[in-house]
Amino acid sequence: MLLDIIIDGLIKGSVYALLAIGFSLVLGVARIINIAHTALYMTAAYLIYMGTKLMGLPAPVAMLASIVLTVILGLLIYNFFIRPIQEHEAAVLIATIAVAMMIQEVFLMTFGGHYLGVSPLVEGYATIMGVKVTYQHLLALGLALVILVGVRLFLLKTRLGLAIRSTAQDREVANLMGMNVTRVAMGTMGVSVGLAAITGAIVVPLVTVEPTMWMHPLIMMLAIVVLGGLGSIEGSFVGAYILGFAESLVVFLLPMGAFLKDSVALSIMILVLLIRPDGLFGVSFEEER
Amino acid sequence: MLLEVSNLKVCYDKAVLINDLSMHVEAGELVSLVGPNGAGKTTLLRAITGLVAWEKMTQRGTALGDITLKGSINFEGKSIVKAPAHEIVKMGLVHCPERRRPFREMSVLENLHAGAYLHGDKQQMEQDLDTVYQLFPVLGKRSKQVSGTLSGGEQQMLAVGRALMSRPKLLCIDEPSTGLAPLMRTEVFKRIEAIRELGITILLVEQEVATVFKMASRNYVLSSGKIIAQGKGQELLEDEVIRKTYLGL
Repeated sequence: MLLDIIIDGLIKGSVYALLAIGFSLVLGVARIINIAHTALYMTAAYLIYMGTKLMGLPAPVAMLASIVLTVILGLLIYNFFIRPIQEHEAAVLIATIAVAMMIQEVFLMTFGGHYLGVSPLVEGYATIMGVKVTYQHLLALGLALVILVGVRLFLLKTRLGLAIRSTAQDREVANLMGMNVTRVAMGTMGVSVGLAAITGAIVVPLVTVEPTMWMHPLIMMLAIVVLGGLGSIEGSFVGAYILGFAESLVVFLLPMGAFLKDSVALSIMILVLLIRPDGLFGVSFEEER
Repeated sequence: MLLEVSNLKVCYDKAVLINDLSMHVEAGELVSLVGPNGAGKTTLLRAITGLVAWEKMTQRGTALGDITLKGSINFEGKSIVKAPAHEIVKMGLVHCPERRRPFREMSVLENLHAGAYLHGDKQQMEQDLDTVYQLFPVLGKRSKQVSGTLSGGEQQMLAVGRALMSRPKLLCIDEPSTGLAPLMRTEVFKRIEAIRELGITILLVEQEVATVFKMASRNYVLSSGKIIAQGKGQELLEDEVIRKTYLGL
């Protein structure tokens, strides 16, 4: 039981961390609260289903293609729906909700509300201290950790990473250093959607693919970002593991716990807002002018 | 002429911040811009270095209202009045902003790297870094420290150092001495003179009139968005009206 919880918590935590970090990046750099973030994660999952089950592509090819297509879709959405109204935060919020609903309806109309599945990349399981863990779970965990390290290196070591971090902290000064803030926002959006799509690709063999599968991760992701502090990457990382483990504990230890996981996340979010509105790693946003 | 501003007008919605203003800076000069609070000194710098144009481009229809930017600004003979900040930096017109504004969560070295964003050449950047560390040894000692934890004076040094990493021909510095202890102010002004000796032209906005008038080759006195007097420090100080009304000395 304990090991079950630890492994499940680690996988959930890593997956949520990938989602929440992508969400935080765009929030920090462009002040966009992208509700459609997990809808794009769902898009990647559906595309992989289409690629493997309907078109018979090999799984790795389908995964890569789905990630690329999702990123293109994300950039198109950013360019046509979000950028023209980017300085109106409330309008952007509404627009992203609309985009998410649109994506949901498209998949509902195309595939119906059926529960679909994708076969695992690797079959079989390992026995760790008497607990059976499928190789697919271990692969998902390994991939998620590799991507997390990759994101960190990208942010710390590359030129775009430097621009993203600078812009997130002070758009105007970043502009004065020669960073084209609009272009940086575009790049950040690409990275963020890419992370959502990669997450979708990693978890798709472990979850059921259906048109509302974006809801639960969205709630968890928002709770994580509030817990970690808006726009803080470290906060998203730590918050993701806290909520990932909280979810595993609830699911494994409480009877009918699976139905309670959203309420636990939301309760944590409300508690944080009441007690420490800035979150764990929150910095109060400074006026720019 | 390095920088030439003529008939500049800047309005945010209905507020006229700069009204029909003309000024210029020659290569090699240290020109100061003084005047009471709200005179438009910072807005003038923001207009020159493209932040107003950038706001006009990106913030259309927000709480700032409509932004008017009229007149001409030429840098080395090229018109830059419509260019956004990130394009103007490339030409060597660099703005060190008011209130220092370091990237607080990044280390000193990362801040300096951000300043060198446009200059990819590693070797050249190392050289620039050496120059900055020679001017401000404290930055070299604290290169790994997170910049938000530096003292006010050190943050000011960092802001100027970061601006130098952008390789300015003309460096605009906005109120470097504000909020610093007297000893630190003297130190900052000494560094600014040292930068001038490197051959970098400086446009300096300051409240510390007495010190600045001694350093500057020419001065402009700004009030209500207009230049109401200009000349050498001594001449301005001799004018009773200007001294009492605008400079408060």
